[in-house]
Amino acid sequence: MQRSRFLIGSLAGLTVTANATDLFAKALAMPALPNVAPGSADDRVLVVINLQGGNDGLNTVVPHGMPNYYRYRPTLGISPNDVLKIDSTIGLNPQLAPLKAMYDKGQVAIVQGAGYPNPDHSHFRSTEIWQTAEPEHYVSTGWVGRYLDEADLPESNLFNAVALAPVLPAVMVGRRVDVPAIAALRGYGLSSDGNVGERAAFATVVRDDRVPFTSPYLATVATIEDHAQRGSEELPKLIAGYSSQATYPATPLGRSLSLAAQIVGSRLGTRVIYVQHGSFDTHAAQKPTQDRLLHELADAVKAFYDDLAAHGEDKRVLTMTFSEFGRRVAENGSRGTDHGEAAPMFVIGGGIAGGLYGKHPSLDALDNGDATFTTDFRSVYATIVEKWFGRPTTGVLAGSFPTLPILA
Amino acid sequence: MIVPMIASTPSAFRPPGPLPASPLAPYAGPWNARLAAHLLRRAGFGGSPSDIQTAAGQTMNAAVDALIHFPATDSLPEGPELIDNDEGTPIAVPAPLASPMPDATGTDAATSAIVEARKARQMLRRRQELANVTWWLDRMLVSPAPLQEKMTLYLHGHFATASNQKGIYGTDIVDQNWLLRHYALGNWRDLTHQIARDRAMLKWLDNARNVKAHPNENFARELMELFTLGIGNYTENDVRESARAFTGYTFRRRTGEFFFNAAQHDDGSKTFLGQTGNFNGDDVIDIIFTQPAAPKYFAHRLLEFFVYSDPEPELVDALAATIRKNDFNMAPVMSALFRSNVFYSDRTYRALVKSPIEFAIGSYKLFGFTEVAPQTVGVLNRMGQVPFHPPSVKGWDGGAQWLNTQTILARENFASEITTAAAQGKNFLNAAPPANAGDEAQSLTHTILQGDASPASVADLASYLDGRGTSADGMLSGENFEERMRGAAYLTMAMPAYQLS
Repeated sequence: MQRSRFLIGSLAGLTVTANATDLFAKALAMPALPNVAPGSADDRVLVVINLQGGNDGLNTVVPHGMPNYYRYRPTLGISPNDVLKIDSTIGLNPQLAPLKAMYDKGQVAIVQGAGYPNPDHSHFRSTEIWQTAEPEHYVSTGWVGRYLDEADLPESNLFNAVALAPVLPAVMVGRRVDVPAIAALRGYGLSSDGNVGERAAFATVVRDDRVPFTSPYLATVATIEDHAQRGSEELPKLIAGYSSQATYPATPLGRSLSLAAQIVGSRLGTRVIYVQHGSFDTHAAQKPTQDRLLHELADAVKAFYDDLAAHGEDKRVLTMTFSEFGRRVAENGSRGTDHGEAAPMFVIGGGIAGGLYGKHPSLDALDNGDATFTTDFRSVYATIVEKWFGRPTTGVLAGSFPTLPILA
Repeated sequence: MIVPMIASTPSAFRPPGPLPASPLAPYAGPWNARLAAHLLRRAGFGGSPSDIQTAAGQTMNAAVDALIHFPATDSLPEGPELIDNDEGTPIAVPAPLASPMPDATGTDAATSAIVEARKARQMLRRRQELANVTWWLDRMLVSPAPLQEKMTLYLHGHFATASNQKGIYGTDIVDQNWLLRHYALGNWRDLTHQIARDRAMLKWLDNARNVKAHPNENFARELMELFTLGIGNYTENDVRESARAFTGYTFRRRTGEFFFNAAQHDDGSKTFLGQTGNFNGDDVIDIIFTQPAAPKYFAHRLLEFFVYSDPEPELVDALAATIRKNDFNMAPVMSALFRSNVFYSDRTYRALVKSPIEFAIGSYKLFGFTEVAPQTVGVLNRMGQVPFHPPSVKGWDGGAQWLNTQTILARENFASEITTAAAQGKNFLNAAPPANAGDEAQSLTHTILQGDASPASVADLASYLDGRGTSADGMLSGENFEERMRGAAYLTMAMPAYQLS
């Protein structure tokens, strides 16, 4: 192992070999937040939507022109009359009508059959694989986290990336950039901050750097405590000036994307925002659950882009969905579907080349009952890193993956 | 093709400076409350001020002996309340669905009946889950054998299995927990043989479905990758061959007992780690434990959990030699580790991040609580660690992974709540009559942090106690004593040292 890689896990540019007092001085300095000029590659934002639990891809992007689809889905198959047709083979679930309208305007790319070799059917492991982009190894950083590390972002910015989730997801974990995890703006804060004396004393004592012991974790703890207090105080103020121009659905995803739009429109220099939606783990009685979740997804995404467009921000925000796996091609005996393999991804944005990408998985030759992937999911990540953010994938992805022509 | 690892797993948090000579030789230096508290945090879940005083008043050897020789635990509850003893039978499909032409609209009565049946079952399962978790947390808090619980927690992360999924319901996970506790300081080769037969594990890693015609490699792979050897110490062919050896290892659906299904076992010849024979799963485990990589793998994981992150290869090798010498009997190994030079060295002291469980249980112990509040499970979830719910078979990464803004806010807000509860009870916060702010600040940082705060922070705390910087509520007095001491205890728990073990 190289010493030079031993960076404090959560803070840009500070090595553990540096003097502790300098670390604190640097970490706790509070320069003004960067005001990023619009129009440059540097102000582009990626929103990642994790469809948790394994979304059934076949009932999302529906192969209505493949006879086997109806053979494998005697009760769950969506009637050709109901499918929102894209062409003679492929269409969308009727619950995705708002997304279909965006598709028709060229704002949605559908990457069909995304997956990876030797797919894992465990929620945890497969989620980890999609987040770390490492199907063959256990690694402790996510692909977005590694991108943030490589992107040379201002370390003073508390909001280089934001995870709208109760726990920091693996995808946002890097070695240098500390990404705040925010479950919801409500409740994101210190209960003691209401007490003037406690608030002030907290801000000082968490920065205690002259402790009578040494610890390799001391600076990290102090940094995150400081970021937690300042970030939770500052964020509501920083985004207060943004007024939403769309009616978001009153759903968790609607609230998350509304907050995401506030963060984007408030120009905090944020590059990546993570949100999650689910659970799509529909082993039984799939239809009502998946219908509701897809409806919520399309509604929230439409409101998000309406809001962004009203603020002239829609072209600088790219949204990508992923789910840890698709589901079995054949429905099971409880009107549900079990864990499967390949599934489509949506890439959405104001300035993209919409359309169908990749091949829909064959329903004639199944892999042990599962649809085999046709596009490696890391090709989508490579496309985003190279074509959206304009960065090489070195240090972000292991190996090289062909990009898709979704982004000019 | 194996792609090269980028940003691989080694922790960036090895303490600076050189490893002391003879790291595992017995420590012969001074013994005090600071080191006694260190021992109780690492080999248990911390302690009340009087627990620390007791350990500090003994010799180091006596304090370690008291932990290693588990006292009787008969007085503790035998297990969680049994709410749902149904371990994962499929949810019954109501009759209407059996009709030949089911209505596919998804809104018919049959579908809603399924949804209702699922909800009712899920409610029972959740209540059982809550009972299981609360039972173990209470046990960690009050067991007279804290090291037994700490080793069980270690093993739970090592052989990480999560309940409420993959058919692991009811008391499956509790039965596994008793197995881990039984072998806490026992022989871990024997434990591994038992783990291969454990019902929760057979479900978790699919070995119950590992049959001759279609071997399932899940358990065989994790057995080597995560439980015993680590990546790089076996080949893909070893995975395939050992999966064949474990075919037929399953459990009886009716009784839940382990069952070797000879009809589904592949009894052909296998070549595994260079040896060829008609191996079964137990042969595979025995071969694994003869590999030099096995004691090293256990040594590395133990050091990361009990000593510090990213331990030096020399230290790993030294502990591995101790493990090998004791043939995987862990009582003498842990006994040696808790008496060692390296364990009491500056590089080990406060060199780990407290896990959420250590943080919460340690706080309850600090103030002398004897049961955890029901909302603790939710609090632990916000902090990022719920017992019986490791995020994957890899367990909890620990270290820096515990720390992000949301989990830190959860820790601090928990500290705020527990100090509020403590201020209303009887403990060190109010045992003595009010003194001046400086003395109280000194005393709090000594009791809660064994003095691991700078003079500047003690002064900040005294200022807070005297109400400086706020409206003129005046100096610390009998009037504001309870409220200010609560706030000061909370602030002491916010100091960096309190996040560290």
